[in-house]
Amino acid sequence: MKVRFLARLALAALLVLGLAVAGDAYAKYPEKPINMVIAFTAGGSSDVQARIMQKYWNKYSDQQWVFVYKPGAGGAIGFGEIANARPDGYTIGGINIPHLVLQPMVQKAMFSIDSYAYICQVVNDPQAVVVRNDSKFTSVKDIFEFAKANPGKLKVGLVGPNSGHHLMFLDVKGKFDFPVTEVFYKGAADQNAALLGGEIDVMFGNLNDVMRSLEEMTVLGLAAEKRNAFLPDVTTLREQGFDVVSDIRRAYVAPKGIDKAQLDYLRETFKKICDDPEYIADMKKAGQPTEYMDGDAFAAYVRTQNDFARNMLQKAGLLK
Amino acid sequence: MMEFIGPAIGHLFEPLNILLMVAGLTGGIIVGALPGLTATMGVALMVPATFAMDATSGLIMLGAIYAGAIYGGSNSACLICTPGTPSSVATTFDGWPLCQAGRADIGLITSLLSSVFGGIVGTVFLLFLAAPLARFALQFGGPENFWLCIFGLSTIAVMSSGNMVKGLLSGAMGLLVSTVGIDPNVGVPRFTFGYYPLVQGIEVIPAMIGLFSFSQVLYLIGSYKPFIADYKPAPGAFGEVVRALVGRCKVNLMRSSIIGTLVGMLPGAGGEIASIISYNEAKRWDKNPERYGTGVIEGVAASESANNAVIGGSLIPMLTLGIPGSAVAAVILGALLAKGIQPGFKVFTATGDLAYTFIMSQFAVNLLMIPIGLLLARIMTKLLSIRLTFVAIAIVVLSVIGSYAIRNSMLDVWIVIVFGFLGYFSGRVGLDTGAMALGIILGPMIEENLGKCVHLSKASGGSVINVFLESPIAILLIVLTLLSLATPFLLDWKRKRRDCGCDIAQPKENSTHA
Repeated sequence: MKVRFLARLALAALLVLGLAVAGDAYAKYPEKPINMVIAFTAGGSSDVQARIMQKYWNKYSDQQWVFVYKPGAGGAIGFGEIANARPDGYTIGGINIPHLVLQPMVQKAMFSIDSYAYICQVVNDPQAVVVRNDSKFTSVKDIFEFAKANPGKLKVGLVGPNSGHHLMFLDVKGKFDFPVTEVFYKGAADQNAALLGGEIDVMFGNLNDVMRSLEEMTVLGLAAEKRNAFLPDVTTLREQGFDVVSDIRRAYVAPKGIDKAQLDYLRETFKKICDDPEYIADMKKAGQPTEYMDGDAFAAYVRTQNDFARNMLQKAGLLK
Repeated sequence: MMEFIGPAIGHLFEPLNILLMVAGLTGGIIVGALPGLTATMGVALMVPATFAMDATSGLIMLGAIYAGAIYGGSNSACLICTPGTPSSVATTFDGWPLCQAGRADIGLITSLLSSVFGGIVGTVFLLFLAAPLARFALQFGGPENFWLCIFGLSTIAVMSSGNMVKGLLSGAMGLLVSTVGIDPNVGVPRFTFGYYPLVQGIEVIPAMIGLFSFSQVLYLIGSYKPFIADYKPAPGAFGEVVRALVGRCKVNLMRSSIIGTLVGMLPGAGGEIASIISYNEAKRWDKNPERYGTGVIEGVAASESANNAVIGGSLIPMLTLGIPGSAVAAVILGALLAKGIQPGFKVFTATGDLAYTFIMSQFAVNLLMIPIGLLLARIMTKLLSIRLTFVAIAIVVLSVIGSYAIRNSMLDVWIVIVFGFLGYFSGRVGLDTGAMALGIILGPMIEENLGKCVHLSKASGGSVINVFLESPIAILLIVLTLLSLATPFLLDWKRKRRDCGCDIAQPKENSTHA
């Protein structure tokens, strides 16, 4: 038994050696399946997005993705998992901004924004100001005027605390006179239910989440630089005179220290996927607003967001 | 609606769909029965497979897995006193004593038929009353959910009427455990003792696997018995259960199914709360409540019909409003959205073919569950003829794998082991693991909803009391909670009155004389 095992081991070693000698190892990357870490539960919108990408990844690469779900603490567990994985090119994962910049600030997360090599951004999901269809508010201006006239009476729903929604709320409060009652919800589903049930009057919600209940809700404005193809008639907050831009971005990263050639391969392949018209059509069907940004530009964006978030939280006294 | 139902039934007879229903049910029951593999995980694992199917077939399959898994949870609840899914905690209360008495067959058949009944009632509500019920579910906000949870917690008083102090202490321990992790209202980590993975909190499922199944293994090994329990199947068991269910249990079944549907509709609350509330109501309204917990059909029927009725209920807000009523419904919603199907009241007209085929498939799935469930139950009772040492090893292995699989975290494996010992020793000193589990399940919801009420109070004059009193539903729930707390005293009084019926009758005579 033992001799046979050793013989097999030797054979395997020979084979591996042969392969390594035969050609440039990096030319073959990836030569085995790649672990794709998803920091949220299976079936959530991060997972759905990654599954759509996977369909097109398989078109351009002969190695599969193996999905690894590491949910918990609003993504912080999974983000930490990617950061602390071996940078051998076989563990990559999805991250979200501003989650990634906020968590190291407020909960001593096991990563920082410098823990990653950024592959690219795939989704820009803008925040929207949303009311019920039967609401008396017909514009964002109405909301601000009512809030000012009735301090504390207007109830605004946010997902949070210490979330993208919360950041937008702090930004709005910093720039305008907005004396309202804020209520935090655990997730978009609870928040949508609270708006429809009348527990809150207004909510700041992500477009992707709002799209699910559009039959019952009206989007009054989008906190984006430009209008969105999903709702071309909805004006941006800037167009309505409120300079607020806030969104949640989805991106893919590898642990820092990954080989340059491997990172280039990943960046090229992701770019090919993002340019694929069928991929874009699939994403639209799933209600995910696509926006590609290359890795270097995105890394710079993460840095500006980091400063912005630190500034916001410090002003609000939420950072010690 | 009617124009869709005919073709919908037609779709169900397509060979692929029949195959998916049978396979989904079988897989679901097995996943549900294995401690640690929950309905949510079973459905989530199969979502990618639906990408390769058309939307209707995919939904049919996910629905079948959901129904199967929620029923399957009762199998392990009855046979090894381990709820296979959190929804079957209350099934252990009477299912396990039945098994210990050698009548595991009665427990399993009752679970199966009650699950089928509950599932069908839930689906009837989904089919006919989806729109008004969805509107009703929206009335449940922070204050209503808070009081619903407190009402659920008050059942500890009834559950542990034997020793209320120990029951309350157990519940409080559960609540304390549930505060580990990030504070839902301020976002600050608590009780993590500098160990980062604890920021994600103590997950309910590993804690329950520990409290119920791991501690059960310790107990069984300590009992030196060769087998888990004697199994004395009786030939007429099926008929006996059917007679009991259509006879003395029919009101209980109906009440539990309605509670299940209503609780299922609420976004925060799911099967684990529905089954406990139903069990408790069944006990409260019974003529002989003290029989509960000794192995009565009524207890199993209440819990199992309620948790399967949750399925139809949880699909109501998911389909009509895009708001999932349970964790599993959230996964199914993800699958729907990936297919580009927008939920909304339109779903019954614009994509009526899909919606009604899905709803009709739930009826078919529930009927198919009877033969498949009976067959699997027969196989599962073989467990009782395997030597305990082997069963114990298998339970431990499954507990560890299952708990790790929930979020691929070693922390959860440690939670199972720690809570296993906690459950074992607290059982020894007479603490109630059921109450502890209730505290762990309800704690985060209570805290989160109370937080909402506190936030909302800023808009209602600064007092949380105002927020509570503004809501008629919350007031109703407060009254129910008070009644529930008074129940042990009422039961006591009832028992005393019955034990000496003459004493009550005499003063009456006296008063007529006077």
